[in-house]
Amino acid sequence: MRLLLLPAVVVLAVFAAALASLFRWSLLEFIPGSLQTGGLTLANFRGVLAPQYLDAIRDTIVLSALTTALTLVCAYPVAYALARTPSRPVRSLILVLTLAPFFTGAIVRTYAWVLVLGNTVVTWPVPMLFTERGVLVGLVHFSMPTMILILAAALSHIDPVYERAAASLGASPWRVFRRVTLPLSMPGIVSGGLIVFAWTLSAFPTPELLGGGKVKMIANVVKDLGLDSFNWPGAAAFAMLALALTLALLTVVGRVTAGRAT
Amino acid sequence: MELRGCTRDYGPVRAVDGLDLGVDEGEFLALLGPSGCGKTTTLNLIAGFVPPTAGRILIDGEDVTDRPAHLRGLGVVFQSYALFPHLSIFENVAFGLRERRLPASEVARRVGEALELVRLERAGRQRPSELSGGMQQRVALARALVYRPRVLLLDEPLAALDRKLREGMRDELRAIQRAVGITTIFVTHDQAEALGLSDRIAVMSQGRIEQLGAPREIYEHPATRFVADFIGASTVLRGRAAAADRVTVAGGTLRVAGAALKPGADVELAIRPERVRLAPGPGDNVLEARVEGLVYQGAQTEVTARLGDGQRALVFVGEPAPVPLAVGLAVHLHLPADAFMVLV
Amino acid sequence: MLRLAVVLLLAFMTVPTVVVIAVSFNPTAILSFPPAGLSLRWYENVVTYPQFQKAAVNSLLVTGGAVALALPIGTLAALALERARLRGRSVWAAVLLSPLVVPGVAAGLGFLILAAGLGLLRSRTVLIAAHVALVLPFVVRSVWVSVRNLDPALERAAASLGATPWRTFRRVTLPLLRPGLFAGLLFAVVVSLNEFVVSLFISNRVTEILPVAMFTYVVNYTDPTIAALSSLFIVATFVVVWLADRYLDLGRVFLQH
Repeated sequence: MRLLLLPAVVVLAVFAAALASLFRWSLLEFIPGSLQTGGLTLANFRGVLAPQYLDAIRDTIVLSALTTALTLVCAYPVAYALARTPSRPVRSLILVLTLAPFFTGAIVRTYAWVLVLGNTVVTWPVPMLFTERGVLVGLVHFSMPTMILILAAALSHIDPVYERAAASLGASPWRVFRRVTLPLSMPGIVSGGLIVFAWTLSAFPTPELLGGGKVKMIANVVKDLGLDSFNWPGAAAFAMLALALTLALLTVVGRVTAGRAT
Repeated sequence: MELRGCTRDYGPVRAVDGLDLGVDEGEFLALLGPSGCGKTTTLNLIAGFVPPTAGRILIDGEDVTDRPAHLRGLGVVFQSYALFPHLSIFENVAFGLRERRLPASEVARRVGEALELVRLERAGRQRPSELSGGMQQRVALARALVYRPRVLLLDEPLAALDRKLREGMRDELRAIQRAVGITTIFVTHDQAEALGLSDRIAVMSQGRIEQLGAPREIYEHPATRFVADFIGASTVLRGRAAAADRVTVAGGTLRVAGAALKPGADVELAIRPERVRLAPGPGDNVLEARVEGLVYQGAQTEVTARLGDGQRALVFVGEPAPVPLAVGLAVHLHLPADAFMVLV
Repeated sequence: MLRLAVVLLLAFMTVPTVVVIAVSFNPTAILSFPPAGLSLRWYENVVTYPQFQKAAVNSLLVTGGAVALALPIGTLAALALERARLRGRSVWAAVLLSPLVVPGVAAGLGFLILAAGLGLLRSRTVLIAAHVALVLPFVVRSVWVSVRNLDPALERAAASLGATPWRTFRRVTLPLLRPGLFAGLLFAVVVSLNEFVVSLFISNRVTEILPVAMFTYVVNYTDPTIAALSSLFIVATFVVVWLADRYLDLGRVFLQH
């Protein structure tokens, strides 16, 4: 039986080899104008801390935090409706509208926002396209399906009888939400929030197209360095940073969910 | 507490059908019926969890039909108890008091009293998951009683307990209800629970009340075939009235005490299997039968006997049996005249 | 209140899609909404633009290759995950699902460096290998759910009726895994067809797949051609999701974790 894992292990080994190459190159000296590299160095990681890149890191963290907060607020009502609607057609409608963007590729979804934010539909009172505001809208839209699904899963695990019990004890709908539904859905909020935060940290197509080169997040710096400047070692160092941040956060998610389970 | 013509539809399904029901102050009333009979929907209508499709609901003469659940001031104990898993036992019991904005000292005092009432005064700091089923059930009761609701609703409160515990809890529930003196409506599918606990029983079927009465009345004088079947085992015999108190069944004539039948009419007679006896030979109110099936149950044997016309009668024969029982054995069944229930 | 909020939020999620479809019928190269008329010229452009034709072929090759490999590999892994006597089952599960959590740019740059080192930059091999790794978690997860719901008594019953292990697998196990396999296939195809970030790093003008070609087009041109191509993607996606919801009950797939 164990041998059945072998093909998957081969696939994962290739994947691991790619990440190992990334790690190795992040430690190699960059020789400008060539794809040859020098000896081992930590210079690439010091380069990450250069002022123009620090801005990108700061923007990334701020945008990720805002995206997480806004996505939580926007996804919660939809997730609640999805988990609690008694009508199968309504549930299907919400699910299809939620999943369709999830399944529509990043380029299609981001391009749609280029049209909407680019004063095609309405003229915005403040500039939206190629601003952090616009990127934020795109990121929230991008994160919504994931968050809705995670929250809806958490909410559908809460037996509605708790809400009925709270109502029978005299709690108004708002108080039922505050004292029962919200605390019981906390595991979903925490894991959904952390997952969205981690994903947004390494978001690429949204800031690339909606930021128009004016808004840079970590992933955009990786692409600029790697594909435009052919500075693979520098790009690799940045990519390692994104990888480390993501893995650290997801480890926290694992800890939190495991802690709740016991 | 009163329901007037309450109806509730779920799509094409009518769960509760034009229900009229009045519950007296301090009364313990059981809603008894098989699953799907509408008893839980009735409870949900009273609690305000689902609105009626038609009809009114009154509490203390006040129309509360359009009042949401949280403003009805009732106490509800759920089948699964629905103790909030994220709150301690103390906070669970305090929930209703906090919603009523009572001062902290008052909350602490009343929660303490309520936990004392259910003998759990030391469990306050624990979480619901740390308590046994019986203890959770008592917490649920304390939580529903602590703010002195006008009516207590119990939804199959004993169903989740194992049998031994259930019997103990049944007595305790009754004692607490008596002590508090609260009007109580109790939903159950277990006839023994309903018979043992309630002042009155409403037997429900298909969204309607089949019969409403005291436990003894329901058991001894079931009004309909459904009630006779559902409460206790019974045999229903079809026959024809020969006189006001005589019925011809399977070639024999039975006297039915106190009956006023129309001669020639088709009649259905129900009789409890424990009232039927094996007779030594022919006599008054005795029918001939043949043993068709035997189920030995220790203290008694359940005998299925086939009458001359093919109808079957169930007889409980106490052990040891007066004659050695065997399938195919010809027997005489004595059906006492005062044991019959005439069904309408 | 809640209903209004849900409707508005669903509109927020859906409106961009509507705008794309509306713009795709615009008769002029200048983007406008609502469209000034109805024209199919951008659809014609999509179909006749050579780079898109090439990219469409590449997409079919890469997705077809990747899914053909990932589906059996993932199914076997899911079976092993549930049935084999494994130490640290949860660790294995985490490892198998790990490609999901690696940032696209990290995986993309890693594959780029690896491919350069192996001299494979001009072939689709690396592209297919990367796609296999990226869709594998989706296959494993979908099939795993089905394996878990599979009552081992059914397979024992088949064995007791005289079926060899292979016949049992063919006639009992595989048919019962069908919903999971179908969901896995669906995910794998959709994820691979839409994969962009990793593919951007490891493809060139010859091997690039559709999303990469679209990205290049968006960066360089502003006419509604991409709106037309996007509309085709959107319609296809809606049909697939709707069919999946009808036949797979997506609510069960997504809400029971």
